[in-house]
Amino acid sequence: MAGRVIVITSGKGGVGKTTTSANIGTALAKNGHSVVLVDTDIGLRNLDLLLGLENRIVYTLVDVVEERCKLKQALVKDKKNPNLCLLAAAQTRDKSSVSAEQLKKITDKLKKDYDFILVDCPAGIEQGFQTAIAGASEAIVVTTPEMSAVRDADRIIGLLEAAEGIESYKLLINRVRPNMIKSNDMMSVEDVENILSCQKIGVIPEDTGIITSTNRGEPIVNNEKSLAGKAYINVARRINGEEVPFLDIDEPKDLVGKLKKFLSGLGKHGKEQ
Amino acid sequence: MIMEQYTEENTYVVDLGEINSAADIIFNLSSLLDNSEARNKKICLKLGNVDLNQAQILSIKSLINGINSILSSIDTKSAETEKVALSLGIIVSNVSPENITEVNPEIPYKTAEEFKNETHTEVQEEIKETEVQEHNENQETSAEESVNTESVKREELQNTTEEQVPTEDKAQVQDELEVIFGSDPAKTSIFNMEIPEDLYEEKEGITDIIVPEQEYTKEDIELESFPTKYIKQTIRSGQVINYEGNIVIIGDCHPGCEISAFGDITVWGVLSGIAHAGSAGNQKARVRALKMNAIQLRIANCYSRRPDSLNTVYIEKTNSFTPEEARIINGEIVVFKIND
Repeated sequence: MAGRVIVITSGKGGVGKTTTSANIGTALAKNGHSVVLVDTDIGLRNLDLLLGLENRIVYTLVDVVEERCKLKQALVKDKKNPNLCLLAAAQTRDKSSVSAEQLKKITDKLKKDYDFILVDCPAGIEQGFQTAIAGASEAIVVTTPEMSAVRDADRIIGLLEAAEGIESYKLLINRVRPNMIKSNDMMSVEDVENILSCQKIGVIPEDTGIITSTNRGEPIVNNEKSLAGKAYINVARRINGEEVPFLDIDEPKDLVGKLKKFLSGLGKHGKEQ
Repeated sequence: MIMEQYTEENTYVVDLGEINSAADIIFNLSSLLDNSEARNKKICLKLGNVDLNQAQILSIKSLINGINSILSSIDTKSAETEKVALSLGIIVSNVSPENITEVNPEIPYKTAEEFKNETHTEVQEEIKETEVQEHNENQETSAEESVNTESVKREELQNTTEEQVPTEDKAQVQDELEVIFGSDPAKTSIFNMEIPEDLYEEKEGITDIIVPEQEYTKEDIELESFPTKYIKQTIRSGQVINYEGNIVIIGDCHPGCEISAFGDITVWGVLSGIAHAGSAGNQKARVRALKMNAIQLRIANCYSRRPDSLNTVYIEKTNSFTPEEARIINGEIVVFKIND
């Protein structure tokens, strides 16, 4: 069976495309699938950092395209999971170094040997975006519950619908803060879904652990306690066709809140005595 | 481009008075790193007309601190340098070479220039055998007499070759030789050793202090003949520097940059990117940096990467640096702390 090529895109920068790519890729590989992550953000690569593979990169996507090395040579194996590979972007070049046809050739080749090929798309709607979606048949649109990100996601969905190769696209809502939604300071997940009229594949809560994991070069799905990590694992299972109920990201916060109240009550009581 | 070095009790004087560019000063100073005599000393720096700015003086200072020495004073002809040095609290004094030779009659350290002149004299002597004998006899006698022969020899030298006679008094050198080797002529015959003359040819831009026992391979000579590129800027992510020679960078090299050179790479700052020395295959090429934090080091056809255990994200920005050098040993890249 040929592998699936999924592009992870957003339009707006900084909403978590790369984090999503790294975590979904790691989660899929953990479930026993063979996965290649392709970083197409040439000149501003970050995916290698998130996976902690920065020091292992010798050949890059551009080297493959310009035939300085074989495709197999450029695939960097993950430290922990042998199922996961990274095809890094060149840092010293720019987006024009790889054309849409060239990337399509590479993803078509990878399809034969791997179950999933996740393409991390650069921000923007220019050549880099067009290149990244060229080989893909599915897309995940990452957005945050902010007006600007939602607008850009809308634009991207329009472009994806117009693109030839893309057969389906799903929405991933990142950095959701249940408390702010409750106090009406943030759009709810439903609002975003309604505005974009697009089916969601995952809801990821805001998690400070993401920053730590990025800095350490260790995807957050490896941290079993993290809520965001659990949410990403669920997304990976949904990609694989399983039906997984959406994580109730509200409840634990409430529990903690309740616990806090309970504890602070105790403390006051103690002082009075 | 003469770099003269004298040692007196605890002070070490580096004379860069005839060097006219900041790049060459820094290049010459970097050879201090290899010189164990300069460690744990007070360093007096003698500069010529070069204008150095605050950043340059600070980096010179940090290099000297890196070899456990202190920059005690600077002697300069440039008002600009003087001003900056004073603002940094460095003593600006006048250290003329005459003063030093008076204070310090013993000069154990020989520069390439001195060495060269001595061997030239020796070549002259071999032609005239009688003179050789006379010379040996004189060594056995008092030092005063050797002054006479030396002065005669100097005249001949001036007549026959265009070589400049060193400013040092030959008699003094002769005295030292007696101190070092004794007056036994058999021992002084070290100077009759056959040394290929081209070994002492002064390569442009580099005056190296040559140890006679050192084996010179093709690669060494190739390294010396390379031109040097001097870059004074921070090399940022995505920037690539390729050069068919040596590269000296004054500034940091951030992660994501790539530096590749046919010869050596010297970074006066933090090296965090990818460095490839000897990219044309020279196994003797080296990578030096005040702080070695490189993601990958490549020398000739060898490759090594930064250990995963090192925290890749945070680069300590401190004032204390331990200069490090990477070179190939038995087919592997090894990084040395220059202090050790």
